[in-house]
Amino acid sequence: MKLIDKMFERKARQLAQRSSRRSMLKGLGGFLVGASALPLLPVARDASAGPTTPLEQGDEASCDYWRYCAIDGFLCSCCGGTANSCPPGTEMSPITWIGTCRNPADGRNYVISYNDCCGKSGCGACLCQRDEGDRPHYRSDKTNDVNWCLGTTSSTYHCSSAIVVGLAFEDK
Amino acid sequence: MRIALSALLAFWVCASQALEINDDRARFNYQMFCSGCHAPDGAGSGDVPRMKDHVGHFLTTDAGRSYLVRVPGSATSALRDEELAEVLNWILIGMGGDSVAEDFKPYSAAEVSTLRAAPLNEVEEYRAGLLQDIAQQQTEQATTP
Repeated sequence: MKLIDKMFERKARQLAQRSSRRSMLKGLGGFLVGASALPLLPVARDASAGPTTPLEQGDEASCDYWRYCAIDGFLCSCCGGTANSCPPGTEMSPITWIGTCRNPADGRNYVISYNDCCGKSGCGACLCQRDEGDRPHYRSDKTNDVNWCLGTTSSTYHCSSAIVVGLAFEDK
Repeated sequence: MRIALSALLAFWVCASQALEINDDRARFNYQMFCSGCHAPDGAGSGDVPRMKDHVGHFLTTDAGRSYLVRVPGSATSALRDEELAEVLNWILIGMGGDSVAEDFKPYSAAEVSTLRAAPLNEVEEYRAGLLQDIAQQQTEQATTP
């Protein structure tokens, strides 16, 4: 036991001789900052990355799926693609109709981009028309009743995706 | 050190008050009213002009500065004057890159209100002419000793 006491005493004295209070504070400060940041990091990253993957519920092959609140067309989910991707052999339009939909899983509104998939004739499956937020033709950027296969190699419409862009801004 | 920090803080407060940009609101308005054509990062596509690393060049002439408000996507948008000014400043700061001078003058709601009252009709030709003028001006400035 005495041996252990002596060893700790020697180490403590060595430490006291080699280091100052300021360096101890620096080390302790660094540790505290690091320790406080560690558990925050995944949360902070998640928040800054935006809610591109919000809580989900519902069947994306159904017209009732929350992201389709303004859709007018065939669901890519029923045509070999998904709500986020085009079926093989089609090209996603870079020019899109954008609106907002309320997610029932968390009660928040999200910005949804309805990117049409183009280059093959109309898919013909799961035709949905919900049109929430659809505007007349004179508001051309907010009407879904036109062919949005713009900027693609082919302007032939096949189906529609519904991609979450981010959270909608709401005045508090 | 303390004085420098105070000055920096005061500068930051003044700058943010002058710009009055609500980042979340500006991003949302960009997503809703701009990104459908100009792409989420402002890169544009096909015939849709690129704003990324480019849009600031328009601020180098008065006509170019007016153009960014008078272009139909801005002038006839559903955004209120203050929202349009905010999203334009947000685009310039966030997407303009080196094309935007560090001391650029942000748009105000009043300026936007005046300019958007005269929206452009024939945009493509007008824009091409503007870019030609801007390029010429930049060449002259570069060659002037």
